[in-house]
Amino acid sequence: MAEVLIADDSEFMRNLLREILEENHTIVGEVENGVEAVEVFKEKKPDLVMMDIVMPIRDGIEATDEIKNTAPDANVIMCTSVGQEEKMKEAVKAGADGYITKPFQKPSVMEAIQDVVPS
Amino acid sequence: MKVDVEALDTFNQLAREGAEEATRSLAQMTGINGSVDVTKISLVDRGDIGEQLGDKAHVGVQFGFEGALAGDTALIFEEDQTAEIVEALMPGAAADESMAQSAIQEIGNIMMSGFIDGWAEYLGATINHTPPGYIEGSGEELLPKSDTVKGHDQVFVFRSDINWEGEPVKFFIYMLPEYEPMAELMAELGTEADNAIPIEKLAVFNQMTRDGTKKAAANVQQMSGIETEAEVSQISFTPLVDVPKQFGEDTYVGTAVEFTGAPSGFLIVLFDEQSAITVAEALMPVEMDSDELTDQHKMAIEELGNIMTSGFVDGWANVLQQSVEHTPPRLVHDMGRAIIDPLAAQLGQHQQHAFVIDSKMKTDEVEFESEIHALPNEKELREALEGLDVTRVEETEANTEEIF
Repeated sequence: MAEVLIADDSEFMRNLLREILEENHTIVGEVENGVEAVEVFKEKKPDLVMMDIVMPIRDGIEATDEIKNTAPDANVIMCTSVGQEEKMKEAVKAGADGYITKPFQKPSVMEAIQDVVPS
Repeated sequence: MKVDVEALDTFNQLAREGAEEATRSLAQMTGINGSVDVTKISLVDRGDIGEQLGDKAHVGVQFGFEGALAGDTALIFEEDQTAEIVEALMPGAAADESMAQSAIQEIGNIMMSGFIDGWAEYLGATINHTPPGYIEGSGEELLPKSDTVKGHDQVFVFRSDINWEGEPVKFFIYMLPEYEPMAELMAELGTEADNAIPIEKLAVFNQMTRDGTKKAAANVQQMSGIETEAEVSQISFTPLVDVPKQFGEDTYVGTAVEFTGAPSGFLIVLFDEQSAITVAEALMPVEMDSDELTDQHKMAIEELGNIMTSGFVDGWANVLQQSVEHTPPRLVHDMGRAIIDPLAAQLGQHQQHAFVIDSKMKTDEVEFESEIHALPNEKELREALEGLDVTRVEETEANTEEIF
């Protein structure tokens, strides 16, 4: 079971992701901004971070950049409503391993995770 | 043809003054006091002209006009109010259908003559109009759509809303100018090249807005299962002070975000309260007991607003090949005017007028209607449109697989 950290400022979306993931994965933390995402990542070292982009205090791309600088092997999937090509390129540059756009269905989430963290 | 902001400003002023003149005429004839609420110029798909009349039955008076400017114009009342207006003009006439129609025609004739005369006076030219024709019907079918707008998918529509003081009703004045004379006049009134936007680019932007609305509607459908259709998209030009008035006093729930990039501005997603409850419950896995809007409903709306916002602006960003950043969504729950007022005030630090982008989606399946409104910085929108490559209009979707 992969350990997953969920970073999303929307409680609604964190709940939804938890419901999708907890059957096959262990949720090690849920945070609501990029600063907390980096902190909890350093503390728990999860196998995977599901990272929103638009978050207060610090956005998901900056947080991904810092996580990847700290731990280049970390796995980060951007899980965002933003479907802009330029943003996707920024996410790739920051080191993101995958990208899911909201709204999503369970199969697309599981497929993206399987691509990044094969079970 | 280029759309010049100075010319639009002049047109707007003329439409407002014309509507004020028409309102004075109404007061003189009937004692009904009205006040001009909103005047705006919109670029809309020809099929969407008059959509804000909804499904209600209306009556009115229509004229054709020609000369320095040519086209059609119409004055519209809600049918329910006709008897009161007719009685105010001619006591006892409302009971006689033919007399009532004639009275409405005469009111329209006098009001609209004042409206058109103002334009002619400003232009220093003659504008002749046809005799008034009585029109009746529901919603948008009432307005002329044929010759006026022939040959162009998107057309300019001038609309003034007049409030009947003390009554919860409005009158509407529409002016639908023919394309070529309007283009010539716009070129004549234009001042500086910097203020001009090629009409083709504005039309393409409108198309992008429609695509963004479709995407937002698809997102609603995917998340909630409610079959949702994009209804209308239009771009309007209006004095900034008129923007909050367009949102009225009904209560809305939704989200507001500030976006930065090219252009910067605000984007607001709004639901009426019942629609908010309907869609939030469709999003939530458990059934709610409350008929009221709870914190859980609001939380769901906040995330839906976030996803709809992205669906709406991502297409612009991809076509413009730029990124459009936005703040996390802020939940809003208030009267329409009160929601928009602070946002318009913030834009007002830099501009007097605004391009307002309005979209609407709805479904017949359940009680659901949603609106998306964008208030971009006027100067930045002009600059963004200058750089718009119209051949990229179809490139609204990014290819995730290609990038990752």
